[in-house]
This record gives sequence, structure tokens and C-alpha cells, in this order.
Amino acid sequence: MKKILYILAMGVLVGAGSSCKKIDNYDAPNVTLTGSVVDATTGAGIQTEQGSGTRIKLLEISYTANPTPFYISSMQDGTFTNTKLFAGTNVISAEGPFVPMVQTDDAGKTIVDESQTVQIKNTTTVTFKVHPLLRVEWVGTPTFNADGTITAQVKFTRGTDDPNFQQDISDVYLFVNATKYVGNNNYDNRYSQQITYDGSAGNAAAGTTITITTKGGPMPGKRDYFIRVGARTNYGLKYYNYTDVKTVAAP
Amino acid sequence: MKKYTYIIVSVLICWVSACKKLDVAPLNIVQDKDVFTTAGGIQAYMSRIYSELPIEDFRYSPQRGLNFFWIISPFPAVTGEALSRDQNGAMQENVDGLNPSTWSLCYKAIRDANYFMETLPQYASNYTPDQVNSWLGEARFIRAATYFALVKRYGGVPIIEKVQTYPGSTIDELNVPRTSEEKVYDFIAADLDYAYTNMSDANQVGRANKYVAAGFKSRAMLYAGSIAKYNTTTLVDKDGNRLCGIPSSKAITYFKAAYDAAALLDGHYSLYKNSWAAGDKTAQFNNYVNMFFDAKSAENVFVRQYHYPESVHGYDAYNVPRQLMGANGYSSEVNPTLNFVELFDGIPKNADGTIKTTTGGKYDLYTNTMDLFANAEPRLRATVILPGDQFKGVNIEIRRGIYTGSSAGGISPLLPAGSTSNYPTTNIVQSSNATQEPYTLPDGSKMNPAGLSGVFTGDQTDAISGFSVRKWLVPDKPTSEVLENRSDQTWIELRYAEVLLNRAEAAYELNALGQADKDYLTDAFTQINAIRERAGADLLTGTGGLTVNVVRNERRKELGFENKIWWDMRRWRTADKEQNSTVYRVLMPFYSANDKKYFFDARTDERNARYTFDVRWYYEQIPQGEIAKSAVLIQNPGY
Repeated sequence: MKKILYILAMGVLVGAGSSCKKIDNYDAPNVTLTGSVVDATTGAGIQTEQGSGTRIKLLEISYTANPTPFYISSMQDGTFTNTKLFAGTNVISAEGPFVPMVQTDDAGKTIVDESQTVQIKNTTTVTFKVHPLLRVEWVGTPTFNADGTITAQVKFTRGTDDPNFQQDISDVYLFVNATKYVGNNNYDNRYSQQITYDGSAGNAAAGTTITITTKGGPMPGKRDYFIRVGARTNYGLKYYNYTDVKTVAAP
Repeated sequence: MKKYTYIIVSVLICWVSACKKLDVAPLNIVQDKDVFTTAGGIQAYMSRIYSELPIEDFRYSPQRGLNFFWIISPFPAVTGEALSRDQNGAMQENVDGLNPSTWSLCYKAIRDANYFMETLPQYASNYTPDQVNSWLGEARFIRAATYFALVKRYGGVPIIEKVQTYPGSTIDELNVPRTSEEKVYDFIAADLDYAYTNMSDANQVGRANKYVAAGFKSRAMLYAGSIAKYNTTTLVDKDGNRLCGIPSSKAITYFKAAYDAAALLDGHYSLYKNSWAAGDKTAQFNNYVNMFFDAKSAENVFVRQYHYPESVHGYDAYNVPRQLMGANGYSSEVNPTLNFVELFDGIPKNADGTIKTTTGGKYDLYTNTMDLFANAEPRLRATVILPGDQFKGVNIEIRRGIYTGSSAGGISPLLPAGSTSNYPTTNIVQSSNATQEPYTLPDGSKMNPAGLSGVFTGDQTDAISGFSVRKWLVPDKPTSEVLENRSDQTWIELRYAEVLLNRAEAAYELNALGQADKDYLTDAFTQINAIRERAGADLLTGTGGLTVNVVRNERRKELGFENKIWWDMRRWRTADKEQNSTVYRVLMPFYSANDKKYFFDARTDERNARYTFDVRWYYEQIPQGEIAKSAVLIQNPGY
């Protein structure tokens, strides 16, 4: 009796082990897509926050006309890289704190389409030239004050002439963090300072030099702080436009 | 040979005669003819659809979704109405953690309503035409209310008007794309208009009648109008359907629809004033408390009933003050913020509207903690348990600690204004939990550092904001019954007060948009004052005092803890400004040992819980599984 059981079990095992010859022998994804999102006027990378800022939208149209979008998050300086993609034809565009690359009118007709159709293979590089909603620039160098706070001066200007994307400016934010990853998704809320504007009050501030000082009293010394200023308008998802990250050393 | 003949004949006889009817309906499944041929069957069908109706009641939290018993991340702790130890920031409704998702629950309810509408006419001969029309109207109401739950979350959604069957239709037919947000609101309005026309004046408690349909319409149209006016997000599909956003030119149309629908309830419902008396704050307070428990209240437009032990919730168990905690060990999940309390009248205030606790840089001293609230608006007392107020016959004792420092020349603020730091430990005695070590006062008597209901620095199972919620708590429930799944008070989903507030807001917005076919501003003024009079609040003296914030704050005060405010903050598009790295404020009562008196410190939440509303959440994320299932479903922006 036991012998029969063993034979049966053996048979099942052998059967299970030898069937399913067809293994998944499709090559692992090994194609690299890299590139950057830059200001069409100045050529500088569009500063953003990592994860919740600029993202690259890929529509892989090799197999269907209506694919589910695939997104790649951009890095803080507006560059992006993904080294694990499949080769194929993609319609690529970017979403972020700039005039949308694909715009539709109220009837759903596409009126602007700056997305690029690209054959992705080996290492493919794509550059997007866009118009930021706001340009935020440092004025001078941020300073560490005697009372232990940091003061920064910035200036923001409109990055586009299109009145459809010149909504009211809602706020300017001095973000402070202990690492170089700093922005609205990642900041020390004890020190970071926000200036908000009601209604259209902020529009007059465009082009002027704005001085912001950190809040919350003196910051602990003997270390570096990473600071960055963001400003945004009431457009859409209210992305921030940023300056680049500067390091301030606390004595 | 003969043998074979017999065999063949007997086989033929058996084969032909046996099992004549194989295709019989399964006997263990209730059939349409059993349900739809009697009024009782229809009542049973309705009972189930109503239980599926997606309303945010005692059994809803954004963390765990609809119809879930465990409510420890309560909705008010997401909006800033309250703080809870189990909720540390803003959130949108849990998307991928809910199984089934709100999306799929809604479409299930819609299918049940559609099935009812398609099946009932086949059995119409059993009833009078009035009965049939009324029931069809009721099904339309259910469908509209469910679509409203979808549109307020996701914007434009697929409209399914007929029961989908498979097989019987192709996959392409079953893949329905999203409709524009505007069309969904129009669809809701059409369903509710049908319901209003066809339903009768009265129905069983817990079921809709024609005025319930009108009341829901006033709510839905107000949302639509607000989105037309305040939304800035756009999402248009390739056929030109605007899935997110409504053209601003439609704002007037929708606000008018909201106004007109609200006016339909005029004379059929009224504000609850059974034990109200002019000028008598105690009577007004009792009246406001009783309103939530009087089954005959003329203010209840639409309710969901509960009954122990078949259909229950645990509101009392989760939210009683700490000192009245039940055997499950839950308490104090909803602790109103000072921001909420400061909206009300009758408390001393500074010029900027914040509560006044100091004079000339020194704390004001009070013999009892309730002295600060001696003139408080009755509605505030009926909504919030203030420190030292009575509940279930005991004083709810809320004290942060004992101040042991010198009081000569007055006590200076413990912390600089706006500080988020911890309190200094010198000169303050405090408790980390309910097991307290009494402190000996200078006169030799003993006193616990913290009150019986908090505030404890360690476990936070107490009034962490200095307040505890009173609204909905049964005032005479014995502590032995303060248990999970033991509460069965009725949820009032739509009160006439909300209808008046809808009307006032629509009227205010119409006036702001330059409409003058009626005196809208005076109408808004009248409705707001009716609400305020019943509440025992200060009345507006003229239409000049009406601002958009007055209208909105009246809503916050009247409908606080009724799970409505989050949706309001979203449709006003103010949530991202209100919750922008925001720390809500609390009021901490201290006892000064040397003065033998209390003082209050208003400060930010000691836990430093920061609330930030992500702008994307104005349109919630459609569950990823639904996007993957359908080839034509488009995700909302930013997800």
C-alpha cells in the first residue's frame, strides 16, 4: 500500500517537475531613457521636487493605441533617468510646474502637443524645452544671521507670456532641510517660512526682490543647512517652481 | 433477442419519462417573482439598498471607508474640527487599502437601483400606479445619491443607466468611459427631479420621500455651483468631455437650482425648537442636545436608523470622555480643536478672533474652568464638552497640570507666543497617564496633577485638545453599555438646518454673482439668523454683516462633527490654504497652586501634528485596479 503511495507521489513530483517547459525567456528590460526638462528661454533645468514634482509620461504605443501611461519621476534639477525600460515606440511628454506640453480646448481638441514620439532603444536621450510658470532666482547669497536665523533674497518673474497660465501668485516659501533633498515634500517645518498672498496681491511682487527669514528662533549651529525658495501660482495642481539648492553653513 | 427488446424499451421509457423539467429555478435562491409581487418583498429589497447607500455616518472614516465598525481615525480629525491620537495629519480617502473600494461599492448600489427600475414594471399589475411611481422615484433617488457620492470624490464618472449583463453585451459595450463632471451633476438633478415628481409626501422613517429628494438636490447643486465657481483643475478627454471641472458660466444655473430645491422644503420641515425658549440659555442648550435624539423631530429630513443588536455602531464607546470610559478601553477619539471652538460666540476674544486668556501679558485667573465659558453660546456647549462642564451628571474634569510657581504679580505666559515647544518642566506638575500621584497643595490638601479626563502627556487617551466632543453622545447611556457595537442612536444625514444653510449659501453666491431677480442677500440673512436664533448665538444685525466667511463658518458651527465639513472645504477649494503645514490649536487649563485658581494657555497641538492638504485631492485618485480593468478609464490629474 505504502509503495503505491510512494509511486503515486513520485509520479506527481516527476510530472510537476518536467511539465511547463516553456520558461519566460523574454529579456529583462535593459533600455535606458535619460534626459532633462529645461527652460526654453534660459536653457537651465527646471528645478522641482522629487516624487511629487515634474514627472515624465510615457505612452508605449507599439502594441496599442490607448496604453496605460507609465510615469518616471524627475530629479530635483529637472533631469531624469530610467535604466530598466523595454525597447519600443513611446510618446513622451512631461508634467510639472510649467505650461503643459499637451493642451486641449474645451471640445477636447488638442491645440498644443509638444510631446515627442521616440523609438526607445539602447540609451535614448530626450530633452524637453518648456516655459516655467514662474522663474525663481536668488538675489545675492543667503546669509546666516547673528541671531541664528537664515535670510535669503529672491526674485520671481513670470516664465510665460500666455495669460491662460498667469494665475495669481499664491505664496513664496523658504524651505530649509538638513539634507540636500529639500522642497515642499521634504522640509523642516520648524524653520521653513512661508509668505502667502491673498487674491491678486502677490502679482505686484513679481520682479521685486523679496526677503525671507527663517522662523522658529535660532537654528542649532555647527552644521550645514540646505535651503531653497519655491513660489507658485493658483494654476492647476499648484506645483512650486524653485531656485536651486544652496548650502548655508551655521557656525 | 427478446431480452434486448425489453432493455431498449425500458431504457426508452425511463429516458423519455424521467426528469421532464430540468430547467427549474434554484429553490434556495429568492426569485424576482418572490420579491417583486408583494409590498413586503419590495420593502426588503429597499432595506438592502438603503443599507448600501454611501453616506458618511457613524460607520465611516476616510481611513477605513464606508460601513466599517472601527472608527478610531475619525473624520473630524482630518478636517481640523478635532484632534485624535490616531490621526496625525491630512489625508484623502484611503484609495488602495479599502476592499471593496468606495468606487466599487457605489457601482454595486447603482446596479441594484437600476435592476429595481428595470424589473418592477414587469410586476406593475400587482400594485396601484401611484405605488409603482413612488417606488421608481425612490430607486432614482438612491441612484442619484450614489452618483453624488461618486462625483464629489472623483469628478466625472461613467454613467451606467441600465443593468449591464455579460454575456449579452460585448466587452467594448461594458467599458464605459467617464462622463463630464457637469453631465454627472445634470444626471443627478434629473433623477432627483423625477423622484420629487413621482414620490409621495411621506414614507417610512429612514426612507426617502419627495422632500428628501429636493433636499439632496439642494446639496448636490450647491456642490456643482461651488465647483463651477472655485475649481481651477481641468481634465478633458479626447472627445471633449471635461472630466474635472465645470465651466464657470454654469455657476449661476447650479446655485439657482440649489436655491430653488431648498425652497421646496419650506413649510414641510422646521428647525427643532420643542424645548427652546427665547433668552433662556439652558433651555436652548437642552433643546440643541435633544434634537439629535428626538425621533419625532421636525428637523430630521433623512436619517439612517440603527437598532441594537442587529444594526449597531460604536460612537459612544470611541468618543466618551476618558473618565466615563467603557469596558473596551476606548475613549476621547474626537477632541475639538480650539480653532473650532473659537468660531462660536460668547467667549472672551482678542481683536484677531482668538480666545483671550491673558490681560496685560499675565494670565486671567478663574475659580472654575467653566467660568471662562460662562456666557458661551448654547450651541457650543451642546456640541463640545468644555472643561468642567456637566455630562451624564458628572463634571468632566480637564486639566493639563498644576502650576507651582510663584504667582506674585501675575503669571506670565509659560511659552512665547506661537511657540511649538514643549512646556517647561520647572514649576509644572503633570501626569503621563490616568494612574496619577496626587500633588500636595500649599494648604495641605491633595490634588491630582491632571484632570480625570486628561490631559495626560504620555498615552493621550484623553482630551488632548482640552475639549471633548458632546454632539451625538447619548446623554443618559449607562457606562456599562458604552461598548463597541453597542450604540444605536440614529444618524441624521440631512437636517433641515443644512437645507437652510444650503439655501443661504446659494443665495449669497447668487447675489455675489450679480443676480437680482430676488432679494437674495436678505434671504441669506434670514436663514442665517434663523439658525443663529435657535443656536442661541449673536444675531446678525443687517445684511451688511454677511460675508462669504460668515456663511461658511455658520455651516462649520452648525454641521460640525456631522462629517460634512471635509466635502465643504474641498468644494470651496480652501482646503489647501487652510491645511498648509497647519498645526491646530488647543486650550490647556492649568491650576495655579498658589492662587488656588485656574488659568488657560492657548497654544498649538502639543504633538505638533502638521496638516497639509495635497492640491491633487480635490479630485481623488481612482483606484488603480479600476484603471487597469478598463481600457477607457482615465486617471485624475497628478496620480
